Amino acid sequence: MRVKLKAGPEQRKFIARIEDLSGENVYACYQCGRCSAGCPMASEMDLLPNQIIRLVQMGLEEDVLRSKTLFLCASCFTCQSRCPKGIDLARVMEAVRHILDPKGKDAFGPDEISPEQARELPQQVMVALFRKFAK
Amino acid sequence: MTAKTTKKKDKRIGLFVCHCGVNIASVVDVEKVAEALKEYPGVTFSTDYVYMCSDPGQQMIIDTIKEKHLDGIIVAACSPTLHEKTFQEAARLAGLNPYQIEIANIREQDSWVHTDREKATRKAVRIVKSHVEKALRNENLEPIKVDVKKRALIIGGGISGLQAALDIAEHGYEVILVEKNPSIGGKMIQLSETFPTLDCSQCILTPKMVEVSRHPRIKLLTYHEVDSISGFVGNFKVRIKKKPRYVDESLCNLCGECEKVCPQIVPDEFNMGLSFRKAVYLPFPQAIPGTYTLDEAHCLGLSPVRCGKCKDVCDKMAIDYDMKETFFEEEVGAVVVATGYDLYTMQALGEYGGEKYEDVVNGLEFERILSASGPTGGVVLRPSDGKVPKSVVFVQCSGSRDTEKHNPYCSKICCMYTAKHAMLYKHRVPDGQATVFYIDVRTGGKGFDEFYQRAVEEDKILYIRGKVSKIFKEGDKLVVWGVDTLTGKKVEVEADLVVLAMAMVKADGVQDLLKKLKVSTDIHGFVAEAHPKLRPVESLNAGFYLAGCAHGPKDIPEAVAQASAAAAKVGDLFAQNELVHEPTVVPVNDELCSGCGICITMCPYGARSLDPERGVAVVNEILCEGCGACAAACPSGAAQQRNQTDDQIFSMLRAMLRE
Amino acid sequence: MKLHYYPGCTLKEKTTALDVSTREAMRRLDIELVEPEGWTCCGAEYPLTEEKIVGLAAPVRVLRQVRDEGGDVVVTTCSFCYAVLKRANKAVREDPLKHKRVNAYLRDDIQINPLTKEKTTGFEDYNGEVKVLHLLEYLRDRVGPPRIREHLKRDLKGLAVAPYYGCRLLRPHKEMGVDEPDSPRIFEDFLETVGCAAVDYAFKQECCGSYVSVSLPAAATEASYRVLRSARMAGAKAIAVTCPLCFYNLDHRQEAIKETFLDFPGIPVVFFTQLLAWALGVDKELLGLKEHAVPADGLFDEGRGAEVRT
Repeated sequence: MRVKLKAGPEQRKFIARIEDLSGENVYACYQCGRCSAGCPMASEMDLLPNQIIRLVQMGLEEDVLRSKTLFLCASCFTCQSRCPKGIDLARVMEAVRHILDPKGKDAFGPDEISPEQARELPQQVMVALFRKFAK
Repeated sequence: MTAKTTKKKDKRIGLFVCHCGVNIASVVDVEKVAEALKEYPGVTFSTDYVYMCSDPGQQMIIDTIKEKHLDGIIVAACSPTLHEKTFQEAARLAGLNPYQIEIANIREQDSWVHTDREKATRKAVRIVKSHVEKALRNENLEPIKVDVKKRALIIGGGISGLQAALDIAEHGYEVILVEKNPSIGGKMIQLSETFPTLDCSQCILTPKMVEVSRHPRIKLLTYHEVDSISGFVGNFKVRIKKKPRYVDESLCNLCGECEKVCPQIVPDEFNMGLSFRKAVYLPFPQAIPGTYTLDEAHCLGLSPVRCGKCKDVCDKMAIDYDMKETFFEEEVGAVVVATGYDLYTMQALGEYGGEKYEDVVNGLEFERILSASGPTGGVVLRPSDGKVPKSVVFVQCSGSRDTEKHNPYCSKICCMYTAKHAMLYKHRVPDGQATVFYIDVRTGGKGFDEFYQRAVEEDKILYIRGKVSKIFKEGDKLVVWGVDTLTGKKVEVEADLVVLAMAMVKADGVQDLLKKLKVSTDIHGFVAEAHPKLRPVESLNAGFYLAGCAHGPKDIPEAVAQASAAAAKVGDLFAQNELVHEPTVVPVNDELCSGCGICITMCPYGARSLDPERGVAVVNEILCEGCGACAAACPSGAAQQRNQTDDQIFSMLRAMLRE
Repeated sequence: MKLHYYPGCTLKEKTTALDVSTREAMRRLDIELVEPEGWTCCGAEYPLTEEKIVGLAAPVRVLRQVRDEGGDVVVTTCSFCYAVLKRANKAVREDPLKHKRVNAYLRDDIQINPLTKEKTTGFEDYNGEVKVLHLLEYLRDRVGPPRIREHLKRDLKGLAVAPYYGCRLLRPHKEMGVDEPDSPRIFEDFLETVGCAAVDYAFKQECCGSYVSVSLPAAATEASYRVLRSARMAGAKAIAVTCPLCFYNLDHRQEAIKETFLDFPGIPVVFFTQLLAWALGVDKELLGLKEHAVPADGLFDEGRGAEVRT
């Protein structure tokens, strides 16, 4: 099926929102893929990090929001430290999560953890995890 | 504060207002402007015309000057950068001094930037009036003439310097070629084969090297350096340093006995540190001049007390420890800067191991590995253990196209030489695996794309689109982390050898020299051309030309083209017996000058200096470009630009503000 | 001398080893660590979107408390806390909007007077007056290797330790600025100062899997495994970490890792402050070794570091 690409107000609004939230210029990315090449979680992702930003560039909001990738990002900033254009992809990921439907199926919240696990885990992990992935 | 220039009240000024088709006339009422100026004091004749720059337009000017005995004219039209010369020439033909021409810009500064017809017309009147005031104070000026020394200095003996030298010498002029290394050849002599023909680099370069060394009009000075330069275009004095070779070139017969006995072992720079040489060495077999050189920095002590072995075995008595650094001067008229490039340091790429891993090499190191005269005799072996690498990974864009930490520009040649490297590797190790990681493949030259396709289709090299994130060692293999953005897969490749296409950067150790020459460089340290589109081989500093990678990354065909172009420009200069320079310079009024020196620091062209005896500033009119910075800065008004004095400028302002 | 110290919530309960060993070690260097009164969790994550300004309130609150207690420096050992505090500090200093909004949120915050312990609500805008330093930085820049070496009581005899930086300590470089992200030296220099031999290996700044080890364990297992394996292959006898989460992933989860990667023999994980404390002469009981899932006692063998210098 052919994707009808539009570069209209709706797409521009989406891209502008992502840029505002993340503080990054998504157009600066020239798709070299280095972020994906160094990402420790990329092997589990359905869409590679560079593909996420590509979809944002193309204004394909739905494809981005559906991706499992958003809930695999560990915010380790390896992408940012190696990007030749200095783009902080972790911020773009967070921006997308920010506008996502809070009941998205890949979100990970307190319900997902058993009481025994909660007793065992360091607080740091739970706080960080829920702030990132639970909505 | 300013000396008044004489206003010649009885001057007869002619005004010609141009319509420029509709460019001016559609906004400015040109007839009204001509009419408004008819009675202005000083204006004898005023008219308008459709296209002043056309033949009939110019003829009108010539005829009117003669008929009305005009001694100054104003053309109200487009910017002077376009047609000032045209009208100056017309005036000259009519017998009027060309510097009595004023161009009033009522297009770029009026009709092209405004829409209100009434206001634009009134503005045009004001502009023209101001120029009348200036014209009433203009003086006749004569262009400044100076001799030209028809001898060229070329700095750098790589392919660009050699080409320029040959072209200028063939024109019939003398050339001095200064090269800081013991031999000419530059980087090109280190290459194995060149794209897209796969010509043996040394085979195509050495004939040029020999030609240069034998040319009757070329003075080849290797192991020399330019120490300083003074003077101006057509009249430079260069101070050259002759470094002591400790070997008499005319006596050395290349027998090689000295090398055999020398106890000092030094990493061989010609082989990029992959092998060793002695302190007394021949850089490479085809070195020109064909002589050994004793490297002072690594010699045990240049004295028979410390060692003396090389001198002992030299039959020809060519070795002389007492040689000293000497200086001498040469006079030249033009300088061609062809100082070449270096490769970006691998140390900056910590994610690729920095310089930790022996088996991660750069392009020039791989050239030496491929080269038949290299450390492995042309057999592809890896530096760490000398084994034949069965998997080689080539990484493009290493340190280039990176706005964040490294060099933002594209290094231009890497895509082509990587394809070449991969092809040559496959030709020699047919069962080896060659993988190239790229972001784009740039193949703009003639036959380039076909060459790259050959690599992919015939030599079956795997091109993966993705920039490598990390290279590290595990056991005796190198692990390369990349990605295939086209299929969306993160990939890991095990390699025996990795070749990084490091970015071309400015040549090491040349920045100081460029500062001394006052040749401007861009933000990356490359020599800056006068205009990126239309003047690619000249520097803004008159008399300096540029060629080759000193100007920026480029391949051999482009370097040669640029070198020949620079030679042609030098030819332009030398074709004249005299140099003519615009007289609208800024002389010094000795009586007003206090010798404060402010103007000297302001001058970007180095045209001003202090006369220590008289305690006043002096200007070298040939170097002065009439920018006016000194005139603006001068506190006493001693610096006044010819035909643009403070008095003239104030009179223009008064005319504009009077309305 | 007294120095403000922010432990972070995890150090007080799950990884007391890091807290206690830090205090004891610093005491040997004549530095008393003082916690800001009534401190609370820093939030663990620095909010990455421009709109999550409320997420800055928690860290700024801590910093403001430090300032009001007269401190101009606060050190922390947990890399996550360090990242949050440092970046929040920078945000308040550099972004006028964030500065305004965060201070507005905090204006109603209950402040505690450190002397009287009374709750007051006098408040002065926080402008980034405090400097946030990781203990490694503090030891490098303010104490200095010579002074540490002077106080050493035990000789670690070149114990081969692999420094594990993880992600938060070095990245993003522009904000953290501790050292070069791909060729750092700070941790190696520290290890050498205390008498260990720092092992160079390729995975020292690769992510351990972070919190993904809870949401999708399989992904993090491989990431942690590669770090451990790389350190082992390079000849390390132990891995030193600066973060409770790294500790959890690399130490507590080694069992789970071994279930997936059957031939992995394991390697002990220690906190950098445990090595420091031990080298400075602190008793073994105070190192918190009971909290380790992979036994690390063998590294702190009296026989090993037997030369007790006077």
